[in-house]
Amino acid sequence: MAGGPSKEMLAEIASRPGRDTLISSAVKYVFIALSLGFLAALLFAPLATVFITALSKGWEMYFESFKDEDTLAAIKLTLTVAAIVVPTNTIFGIAAAWAIAKFEFRGKSFLITLIDLPIAVSPVISGLVYVLLFGAQGWFGLWLQERDISIIFAVPGIVLATMFVTFPYVARELIPLMQQLGNDEEEAAITLGAGGLMTFFHVTLPKIRWGLVYGVILCNARAMGEFGAVSVVSGHVRGLTTTMPLHVEILYNEYNFVGAFAVASLLTLLAVLTLIIKSLVEMKRK
Amino acid sequence: MSITLDQVTKRYQGSPVVNDVSLEVGEGEFYVLLGPSGSGKSTLLRAIAGLTGVDHGRIALHGNDVTHVSARQRGVGLVFQNYALFRHMTVGENIEFALKVRRMKSAERRKELLRLVALEGMDDRLPTQLSGGQQQRVAVARALAHKPPVLLLDEPFGALDAKIREELRRTIRQVQRELKITTVLVTHDQEEAFAMADRIGVMNLGRLLESGKPDELYARPATRFVATFLGAANLLLARQTEQGIRFGAAPVNARRVEKLEGGREQEVVAVLRPEEVELAPTRDNLRTNFIANGIVEEQVFTGAFERMRVRMADGAANAHIASPNANGGSNGSAALLDVTRTQHEQRLFPLSLGQSVAIGVRRIHVLPTPLSSYTAYGSDEASCERLSQHPLLVELASRMKTRIIKRNEAPLVACDAPASAPVSGVAVIAAGQKTADQLQWLLQNGAGEVLVLPAHSSPPQKVLIHWADDSARRSTLAVAASLLRHVAAEAVYVGILPEGSGGESQRPFGVRTLLDARSEAQAVHGLEMRTELRFGAAADELQRQLTESQDPMLILGVSDPAQLRGTFGTLFTSGATYPMMIVYRPSKDSEGAVE
Repeated sequence: MAGGPSKEMLAEIASRPGRDTLISSAVKYVFIALSLGFLAALLFAPLATVFITALSKGWEMYFESFKDEDTLAAIKLTLTVAAIVVPTNTIFGIAAAWAIAKFEFRGKSFLITLIDLPIAVSPVISGLVYVLLFGAQGWFGLWLQERDISIIFAVPGIVLATMFVTFPYVARELIPLMQQLGNDEEEAAITLGAGGLMTFFHVTLPKIRWGLVYGVILCNARAMGEFGAVSVVSGHVRGLTTTMPLHVEILYNEYNFVGAFAVASLLTLLAVLTLIIKSLVEMKRK
Repeated sequence: MSITLDQVTKRYQGSPVVNDVSLEVGEGEFYVLLGPSGSGKSTLLRAIAGLTGVDHGRIALHGNDVTHVSARQRGVGLVFQNYALFRHMTVGENIEFALKVRRMKSAERRKELLRLVALEGMDDRLPTQLSGGQQQRVAVARALAHKPPVLLLDEPFGALDAKIREELRRTIRQVQRELKITTVLVTHDQEEAFAMADRIGVMNLGRLLESGKPDELYARPATRFVATFLGAANLLLARQTEQGIRFGAAPVNARRVEKLEGGREQEVVAVLRPEEVELAPTRDNLRTNFIANGIVEEQVFTGAFERMRVRMADGAANAHIASPNANGGSNGSAALLDVTRTQHEQRLFPLSLGQSVAIGVRRIHVLPTPLSSYTAYGSDEASCERLSQHPLLVELASRMKTRIIKRNEAPLVACDAPASAPVSGVAVIAAGQKTADQLQWLLQNGAGEVLVLPAHSSPPQKVLIHWADDSARRSTLAVAASLLRHVAAEAVYVGILPEGSGGESQRPFGVRTLLDARSEAQAVHGLEMRTELRFGAAADELQRQLTESQDPMLILGVSDPAQLRGTFGTLFTSGATYPMMIVYRPSKDSEGAVE
């Protein structure tokens, strides 16, 4: 019986589940290669193009494009909108998640569906809804005009549309988390004599903080990058109502490729940064 | 009294999860609420803590009514099954939480508490760095930090393994003794209850069935549920006679049998603990009272004890009612008796499977319940069968862990000839035109309790209780209490006085009767019931009450069969649409039964 294991034995070993046979490892690598190739063509290539085009005329031209007043205004507007929308949606999101996770009430499932609505509805429609409501021909258009309040084609419209589109992110993140964590700690705090606010800030908030941060990051990313809904309500007034995504489009249409891609690269960097923070948060959560 | 609960009721979506619970826990007492899941014990605990409101009743802590005081103000110490520690705070911060809320100095108290639960020096750990047992110790220390009036523990050992559980049990008991703090612990584990309790309260279906010292509850349970839930028990139907207890054909003149009060021969439910059963090769070798012969069917070695099941032969086989398939009219062939023997007994009389043995019993406890078993009466096979399948009857029998027998009696049609055998246990008949005649016939043939069931009836929500005269009071209350332990319904005693000036003048007397009835129900039977005083003809008033209530049931006590035709005749002629339980005790015998 010299010469190692027999042929049958080898075949038996090879056929054991979980073993790397030649075919199974081939299949594995083919699939990895396929998905990598797909990603390269669809994701990495465009990303690279953004930066290559932005830097095609050198660093100087790249930084020059940020000195444009309209570009600066667009960046400022985007940050302003995010600064209004993200905190508001965070507060509403916590409130909604709290209500849904901690209380039983009629129409609860309907409320959950409503929260999902902005994700289901096309952003363009979300924008149009506001135009129909507050536009010159809209339901409240005349009333607003008489009082000299402009919502559509102005900053309030952009804020409203962005808020609508980004509403679900915090709430959707918190609802399952709160349901899973239960009420016991809050109840313990109450029996120990803590009031409502103290319970919230010392018990609930620390408990859900990582989920909350995650939701806020997603909400922020969407708020800065939103195009469709904002495009409908903004009116594209340069230097006044263009956010960064809209400004990219305008510059591109004017054949100012370096400018367009420079702003685009900034947006991309913001997105990448968001993703990095997100991964860090996910690591921390574990 | 540290904790006083007075008729506490909590409903969830209309049905009561805690039903009329009254309870007093003394100063420094360790009280254990024991019950299966869904029995309402945790809800009751949360109600004491103030985390759940109550729909009815009062809760007092140290004499202060706290029914409408918030959980925050009550400030009880509460320990949860899954610890509920603040996971982002260190052990020290967790313990100091209650003191921080109250802006009290905390460093010293923290040290003291950590010493108390044997976790010195763990201040700076995070809960996630501790084992389950340690986390629960922290939770106990945290709950005690602000010196709460009472300590409540909700299944605190549920998530721990056996060894740690035992250790933690000891710690908690020690802490409790040291601080002399009144403690209520909720558990579904009877071993845990025995190990820790000064007193145990057993809950089922939202009711507090019995409450007492562990050994007393174990030795003398009043209800089937407690008998089988606290330890193992064989339930057997027996006849209580002048000479003692009889199982089937075999008379048992057990010396240590506890005698039931009352001289009347009747069917009773006997409790045989597995360790009180003696096995011997023959009848003559038994040192205790012989009840039956049997064959060993199952044998399990469990370390200290040997557990076996013995199939009973002879007439005693019919007596067994606790086997799982006992409901639905089984003929008792599955009469398996649970027996445990010590190593010592095993050595004296080694047994193997299939061996035949003589069964003796050292001690029998007779349950004071008047509802022993059900017999469905019909004038033909089909009607018997139909009645024995009645959902309400099946439900009652399975909750009472008793059996339903079918009895085909032709004389039921004409009600003239005597029955083929005397009636024992609760007789059940279908409601119809001849209900009154059939009732009388059954009572003449020895029935003490008759259940009348309409073809369709939902489980009762409200049980009205009434008796024709005072001699039927005691037995009616006993039947009502026994029945209501198994039905989640509200109990109302209706006292009725004649209308007009005659009734008015009797009013003080009537009110006293009501109060007496209520306190007797509570003191003797642990039954909480509401009372109502009405004026008018008894039958009409009852009829009115029954039609006004949703899903009612009537429990009616009489001392003379003629009352069924006379005073209450109208109740039966109309063809009742609700279940009725008729309790009959002849007045001359009842004198003996009262004292």
